[in-house]
Order: sequence, then C-alpha cells, then structure tokens
Amino acid sequence: MTREERDKLIRLISSPPPGSKIAAAKEFGADLTLLVSTLELTPTERLERLADAQEFVREWQAAMKTSAHD
Amino acid sequence: MINFLGSLRVLCNAQVRFVVIGGAAASAHGLPHLTYDLDICYDRSRDNIERLVSALDPLHPRLRGVVNHLPFRLDAATIANGMNFTLSTDLGDIDLFGEVSGIGGYEEAKTSSVNLVLYGLECAVLSLDGLIRSKRAAARPKDLLTLPEIEALREIGTQVKPELGPVGIQNHESVRGKRSEPGPSD
Repeated sequence: MTREERDKLIRLISSPPPGSKIAAAKEFGADLTLLVSTLELTPTERLERLADAQEFVREWQAAMKTSAHD
Repeated sequence: MINFLGSLRVLCNAQVRFVVIGGAAASAHGLPHLTYDLDICYDRSRDNIERLVSALDPLHPRLRGVVNHLPFRLDAATIANGMNFTLSTDLGDIDLFGEVSGIGGYEEAKTSSVNLVLYGLECAVLSLDGLIRSKRAAARPKDLLTLPEIEALREIGTQVKPELGPVGIQNHESVRGKRSEPGPSD
C-alpha cells in the first residue's frame, strides 16, 4: 500500500461516507483502525500475525492454568 | 492451533485441488480476527480425494471432538462417503468441506476465489464476495458478527484500490512454490 492509499484508508475509516458499509461496520462496533496495520501486510504476513496471536493465547491459557493450580 | 505454512505446503506439494475458506481466508484478506483452524473446500473428484488422503495421512488425522477410542481411518472411501470432516492433525486442526454454505462445491468455490500467494505458494482463497455470500447463508451468530467488517473490507478495497475491483487490498509477494491447482498435465 502506498502512502497515499494509506492516507485515503485512514480518512475513509475516520469519516466513512454516510450509508456506506464502512459506516455500518463502525456503527456496529467494529474497530476498523485495526485494518490499517493488517492491510499494510502481505497475505502471508497476515497469517503469520494470526499464528503469533494463536501462540499468545495458548501461552496465556497455559499460564492461567498454572496459576490456578498454585 | 494450526501450522498454516506446514498445512498449505503439504496440500500444495500433493497438488490437492482446494480453496482456503473460513477464518483463514478472512485473515488472509486482512480481517484482524482470531481463528484456530484451516478450513478448506476440496474437490470431490476421485483423484483429488486420493491426493488429499495421501497428503493428510502422514499427519495422523483423527476426528476432532469425538472420544478417541472410536475407530476412524481417513481413507478415500471415508471421504467419498462423507462430505465435511473436522480433523485434528499433527500440524493442527484442518476442516475439510465438500460444500460451502451459499457457494456450493469446489468448482463454485474456485470460481468465487482469488489466487493469493501464501508462504510463497499460490493458493486459491475464497474472495471477499464469496466470504460475504457464505457467511450470509450460514447465518450463525459468529458469521453475522464478522459480516459487517468483511463488507467494510470489501468496500475499502474498492475505494482505496479501485483499479483492482472488489478483491480487497493484497500486497505483492512472489511465488516460490507450487500452485494449489494442478495443471492440465496432472
């Protein structure tokens, strides 16, 4: 994504056109600002980030289990 | 937990015809949501089922969510006699779908897919339009929760990169491996 495209994305998310799907998602409660960073990544990097998140959750759950037994 | 690289490599190396669907497809398009498995829609032709079995067999596939002592063997007959399978494998959870809600079988899923490079492998991934159709059709609470974001993602793509059409924003990565779709000689 170029700098111009990124700026356009941020403007769209900050002030979505009324009646648009972007406005509807924002109204629904979706945090669209998270899209700015994911859309800068390649599809592989997006899956790698997802795998990192899975690993974090796994470690978190393991830590919670350990602390529950302490 | 799923090893995306390992799973996709195994499937592509065996030249299985499949389309990545579900949460992994949504993530590949940029949706920042957590998913723990790899969902694929597979071609149910005999030769492809055999490729799929050959690819998955070394990963010790077993049915997920059933007691371990139930006998199960993933072979071509089992897949041919069934449709959808939720599997645990040595590389993580892989779900096989012969049909996708709102889309249909493999051919329809392939038509509704875009080719994305994942880990250097060119893979068919259900398009944003396809994801929207399937989630509307499935209409489970978890599908309906993500629908507004996927629709927004599609719209963002058409606004930010109108030259690409409604395929979302896919940044370039070169292909290093084999395609998920075998060529005519296969």
